[in-house]
Amino acid sequence: MKKHNVIVIGSGRLGANIATSMSEKGENVIIIDADHDSFRKLNDSFSGYQIVGDATDTAILENASIKETKMVVITTDNDNTNIFIAHLCFYLYDVPMIIVRLTDNDKGVLLENTTIKPIYPFKLSIKAFIELTEGMLS
Amino acid sequence: MRIVIAGGKHQADFLIKMFKAEKHQLTVINKDEQFSDYISTENDIPVFQSDPSKAYALSDADIDGSDIVIALSDKDTENYVICKLAKKLFHVKKCVCIVSNPKNVHIFKTLGIDSVISSTYLLGQTVKTEINIERWFKTLSIEDDKIVMTEIEVEKDFAIVNKKLMDIKFPKNINISCVFRDPDVIIPNGQTLIKSEDKLILISKPQEQDEIINFIRKKK
Repeated sequence: MKKHNVIVIGSGRLGANIATSMSEKGENVIIIDADHDSFRKLNDSFSGYQIVGDATDTAILENASIKETKMVVITTDNDNTNIFIAHLCFYLYDVPMIIVRLTDNDKGVLLENTTIKPIYPFKLSIKAFIELTEGMLS
Repeated sequence: MRIVIAGGKHQADFLIKMFKAEKHQLTVINKDEQFSDYISTENDIPVFQSDPSKAYALSDADIDGSDIVIALSDKDTENYVICKLAKKLFHVKKCVCIVSNPKNVHIFKTLGIDSVISSTYLLGQTVKTEINIERWFKTLSIEDDKIVMTEIEVEKDFAIVNKKLMDIKFPKNINISCVFRDPDVIIPNGQTLIKSEDKLILISKPQEQDEIINFIRKKK
């Protein structure tokens, strides 16, 4: 099997878009989702692999060559699932780059002492709000 | 002890009753409104209806410094996060959780959860032990499980073979009541020599049974 560089977990809007743009840039992408229908969100230009399965199961991750991957992006719609998979990637598989989307900022504490990088949509929205309103409010 | 029961239905109900009978101090956190109502009408204990995998819910329930958190949700990853948050933010001494995927028993432990229970895994272990037991020992419980009688066959590579009872450093509370050496039945004393293929009848408390069996079965 060809060496895969990037694994995206969760084919929601964010996951599918990240997978598509990485694929367009020439990366070898594997996308995993428990629901086959979710892959409809992938653009036609996506040329990577799709795996239907539960990524909290180590067999699925290993099937996606997690041990050789350089980056995992975790974007399922469940924070608990995301944290657990991120911990698997970090503690069990030593994945060099792990990015995880978290809706609940409070759960960020569980990423302390790891190299896991969080994306918080809430913080991004607040930041955007402040930037948009800069100078308008006294 | 201060025990927190997070999530779960029947198991939670059962454990709450059991721990209450043992006079432990309980806190219940459960997402389900109906179940939370049921628990608070049935028991005089604090019940918090919220998602225990959220830090604020654990904080509201004031679980800081609790002795044990037991996570019983049917989602493995939810239990994982409950345990992790309880340890990280609330200094809980011990975390126990159930998992539905038996593979997670090992993984959760590797990731730092103190105790992980899977009914499928336990079932497998029990069957395995039953099969082993068949081979080398029989147990009989007396007085409602307060005493157990164990029969162990001595194999030739055991460390106790060819030693006198008085020379063997037994763990505390061991009582070898009888030695079968076909066709004889020997009531042992300090001078009795243990031989290969002897059958030992031991009397012990159930909680000491494992220790005693491990001791007898120690190899040379």
